[in-house]
Amino acid sequence: MAQQQPLSSTVQPTDVYGGDEVSALVLDPGYYNTRAGFAGEDVPRQVIPSFYGHIEGRDLFGDEVIIPRAGYEVRNYMNRDSVVEDWDAATKAWEHVLVRRLQPERQTPPSKNGLNDETDGDVVMDDGAGAEMEERPLSENPLLMTEAPWNSAKAREKAIEVVMENWACPAFWLSRTPVLASFAAGKATALVVDVGGANTSVTAVHDGMMLKRSVQKSPAGGLWLSGQIRSMWETNEPKVDIVPSFMVENKKPVEAGAPADYRPKKFDFPITDSFRLFEEERVLTEFKESVVEVWRGPAKFTESQQYIANQPGRVFEMPNGSNQMWKEQRYKVSEGMWDESAAFPPPTAPGLDIPSLAKNQTIPALIKACLDGVDVDLKPNLLGNVVVTGSTSLLNGFNDRLNNELQAAYPGVRIKIHAAGLTSERRFGAWIGGSILASLGTFHQMWISRKEYEENGPGIVEKRCK
Amino acid sequence: MSAQAGKWKEEQILVICPGSHTTMACYGCSELAPPTHRFPTRMFRDEETGEWRPNHTEKRRKLNGSSHGAEGQEEWEYIEDPDSTDGATYPIQGGRITNMDAFLAFLEHVHQSLTTTYHNTPIMLMASPQWTRPDCEEIARYIFEQTRTPALCLIHSGIATQYGLKWPNLTVVDVGFQKVDVTCIYDSRVVSHKDVGASDALAVAEGEEISGGEVFTRKLLGLLEDKGFTYEMAEQLKKSNVCEVLPYVPDSEKLMDLPEEAPGAEKAAEAAPKAEVAADDDAAAAGESKLVDEEGVLNVAELVVSGQAKEFLAKKEKEKAAKAAKKGKEKEAAEAAAKSRLPNSRKAKNIFHYEEVVQEEIPPEEVTPAKENGQAPANGDAPKDGDAPKDADAPKDGEAPKDEDEQSKPETTSEDTKPAAESATTPAEPAKPSLPVIRNKRIRRDIEVGLERFLFADRAEIDRISTAIYRAVQSIDDMYMRPPCWENLVFVGNGARIRGLRDNIIQTLNARHLISPSTATIFTSELPSNLGTPSGTGSQTPTGSYIGAGPPHQLGPSSGVNPLLQAATTSNMGVPGSVIGGGAPGTPGGQTPGGDAAVTNGSHHFHSQTPTQIKLATLPTYLSEWTKNGFEEAMFLGAQVAARLAFCVHNLDAQGVESQRLMSLSRVDFNELGPKGIRSHSMLA
Repeated sequence: MAQQQPLSSTVQPTDVYGGDEVSALVLDPGYYNTRAGFAGEDVPRQVIPSFYGHIEGRDLFGDEVIIPRAGYEVRNYMNRDSVVEDWDAATKAWEHVLVRRLQPERQTPPSKNGLNDETDGDVVMDDGAGAEMEERPLSENPLLMTEAPWNSAKAREKAIEVVMENWACPAFWLSRTPVLASFAAGKATALVVDVGGANTSVTAVHDGMMLKRSVQKSPAGGLWLSGQIRSMWETNEPKVDIVPSFMVENKKPVEAGAPADYRPKKFDFPITDSFRLFEEERVLTEFKESVVEVWRGPAKFTESQQYIANQPGRVFEMPNGSNQMWKEQRYKVSEGMWDESAAFPPPTAPGLDIPSLAKNQTIPALIKACLDGVDVDLKPNLLGNVVVTGSTSLLNGFNDRLNNELQAAYPGVRIKIHAAGLTSERRFGAWIGGSILASLGTFHQMWISRKEYEENGPGIVEKRCK
Repeated sequence: MSAQAGKWKEEQILVICPGSHTTMACYGCSELAPPTHRFPTRMFRDEETGEWRPNHTEKRRKLNGSSHGAEGQEEWEYIEDPDSTDGATYPIQGGRITNMDAFLAFLEHVHQSLTTTYHNTPIMLMASPQWTRPDCEEIARYIFEQTRTPALCLIHSGIATQYGLKWPNLTVVDVGFQKVDVTCIYDSRVVSHKDVGASDALAVAEGEEISGGEVFTRKLLGLLEDKGFTYEMAEQLKKSNVCEVLPYVPDSEKLMDLPEEAPGAEKAAEAAPKAEVAADDDAAAAGESKLVDEEGVLNVAELVVSGQAKEFLAKKEKEKAAKAAKKGKEKEAAEAAAKSRLPNSRKAKNIFHYEEVVQEEIPPEEVTPAKENGQAPANGDAPKDGDAPKDADAPKDGEAPKDEDEQSKPETTSEDTKPAAESATTPAEPAKPSLPVIRNKRIRRDIEVGLERFLFADRAEIDRISTAIYRAVQSIDDMYMRPPCWENLVFVGNGARIRGLRDNIIQTLNARHLISPSTATIFTSELPSNLGTPSGTGSQTPTGSYIGAGPPHQLGPSSGVNPLLQAATTSNMGVPGSVIGGGAPGTPGGQTPGGDAAVTNGSHHFHSQTPTQIKLATLPTYLSEWTKNGFEEAMFLGAQVAARLAFCVHNLDAQGVESQRLMSLSRVDFNELGPKGIRSHSMLA
């Protein structure tokens, strides 16, 4: 029925069907989330926590499996420097997103797929053709992976090894998050301010290259902010207990400041600390989303506290129903990012291990240090292209404050902040940049092919991915 | 493409909604009716040829005197048994395609059962969110390379539901067979998704729990196994209306109010064994007494066959009257009547009618039973051709397989009258005396069940589902999208048919997560953070505002055209809701998703805690057939609506044509783009 229509001259001829079709994958592991998807798409298809569940020697991945279970520990394969810590778990986590979630299910022989009642589902997967298939699950997908600017040479080599040896990827490329974030913003030269989960980094990118001497990082990210909120709640009068929602069966409305009236959920097994901390983080995230705000300036926060205290505040209801109005405190928790002297002392709860920020670790200090590390001629260009990315930068008022700080620090320079309006673009900045890069026609000119890897070994990644 | 060139008639479109358990399909989408066909989603591999067959096929020796029996005993025949699940392969598990070969063969089977032509039959195929991109490409490749289908549209099941229910913002909770999908849709875009269930087959093997309706069946079975319940019984009990999820009671120990156990509770134990009445094995001696088994159940099939229907019925009536008279004297009757007036949820015990189909082979006297023959070793010169089963079963079983096929529909609701009607067709086909007759007996037993029918509502599973809903909505990136998603929850999937389940989940969510207005803000003039601030978020869903928003659509109001259809055809197809949202300037709907919203988005300062309201979406009422059928299958309706939009609507403006072109992959586009064209030419996200 449908008739072939001649292509109009305005339409670019599309590539030949069955031609050299590249289905590149993009993997962006971060401290909080691991993001994976296909190049050319605008959001990652799979976003799973980098935290994973560990139970009885097994590792479980994905947000859905993080539910209370006996002896269930929550671990993270990344460390707080956003560098892979546990390679075994990292490999499994990546396999989970790249292979098990993004690729069709392998047709496991009936003896192994655990669906036939008569066979034992727990057979070790190691026989015959099936195993061969398992070994080459990504043989058609080049992979672009992101890394923190300060990633070590050893970790980079390990990354290419894992990718090449485990899934037989035909090609690999490693790219730094600030470069990709600037790509996502459509800029080749930019000052990238990435306020992420565990870290804040400020990096100068020039012509698509990261300037190594400019890289600055500090823990002033989401985790540190969570610590500030915890400290604030600890010292609050009355003290605010964090009861994560998994512990609440149901709740009743109570007056502001009144003790919570809720029915706790009963578990006939102990809940591990790591699980609880992870769940508490969800409450803190909600608090950050709906209450925490960055004092915009230009007047100093410390001098404006009185004024803010008279402004209407915001109420936050905890999962157990207790609620309270937060006024100037909701600015104070984030103030430490800009002015270390305004910060709360780090929380005392065990197992958190959150540092306090030093004077040179605040965001303005990082930017200054970063700009001091680059050629003076570049400064105006960088300040005219400030790219803000990372979830923590979504805090209400963040951009206004950043703008004010920069105006004050660099008077007379044109400052332009580029921050994506869509939440997802801000959260997945580096991934989106990777998606753009890997979908370019020129991607195959830059990647490290399997052959090169086999000839040169993992060391090639140091030589090629500058 | 000129507007009319690639358009098809509504009657020509094949709509297929595959599920892990049952696949719904129909040919033609002009009616917007509930699915005409349901297929169990399974295939059987033919051991000899390696091909896939829709039914379990058994090979056995053909007998003398059959219609083809020229060569006598050495001939073999293939018996298809549509009820048997022996050796079945289930191509979809927990929403994932686990066996693509089988799945494609299954699609082929569905197609063939509904229509014989390909070249003018565009296909609308619903995809689960779990289907991977390579899966979709593989399907596209198969359909265009192996068949002559002119166009294929893949639609995300959440989006399909949304098309069926017309709301631009929805949270679709799809309770399937072994999985639960939660999809949040804002402005007709999927903005968040979570699924519950084992992540894949490997995970099942590792002991990860499945989710969905099956969990409840298993739980029920676990509770009643001691009383001799089988899986089939548990399944039927679950679907019956005595089984229900009681309302969530926040303060009670078990979170539900169970009815008091009646004083005669011990009787429950007796009840089960009492029901152990099996069909009579020696039904061949069709004595009149055998027509009624001890439970008073009619063996209609046999009755009709033996041709004594009239006399029998008359006699039966008399008996009944006599019995009733006798009973009337007893006090019990009065009590029972009083009891029966109580709603099910207040009764400690209730009776459910279990129906099972018992297959009987009645061997004719002069022939040895077929089973024995089937085990005979010879297999060399048996007819092995793929078409054998079709030929073979026709003369043998006559109508039987077809009847069974219908009976085995899992979703059939009230079938009390159906068996009679069906078996009435059997006499039309004269029984061949020399052949073994396979006869289906429908046996109905009354089984009394106790509190198990409430206790099966596994709190762990309900918690899992409600947590998934909570997390799915709360993890929507843009906060202003959350309130509309909380206010339009919809439960679909046949797993959601369990009585009371959806209400219980809503109650659970309300009791656990609802943010109540705080007293701290009562005396301030400002709006508290935990109330939805009027920021044009669309939280006030414009109910009914689009009815009559435009000129009546050409399809005519009589067909109950989805208003989305109008919206979609008049503007941007990919984002049907945007028309509605765009009506009020400044609403997020007016913005282009994924575009450079950097400039425009500054206006959203929605930072309120959610949910402040949790509500079910209002279901449309203008499609009476669907109201009857229930909107659990709304995705099928939506797929039909979407099929019309994608394939049938013409006279669009240039923009409309372009967006319509992107809704489905036509053969022209396939030739140009290849299978990867499905990435952009589909309704997958």
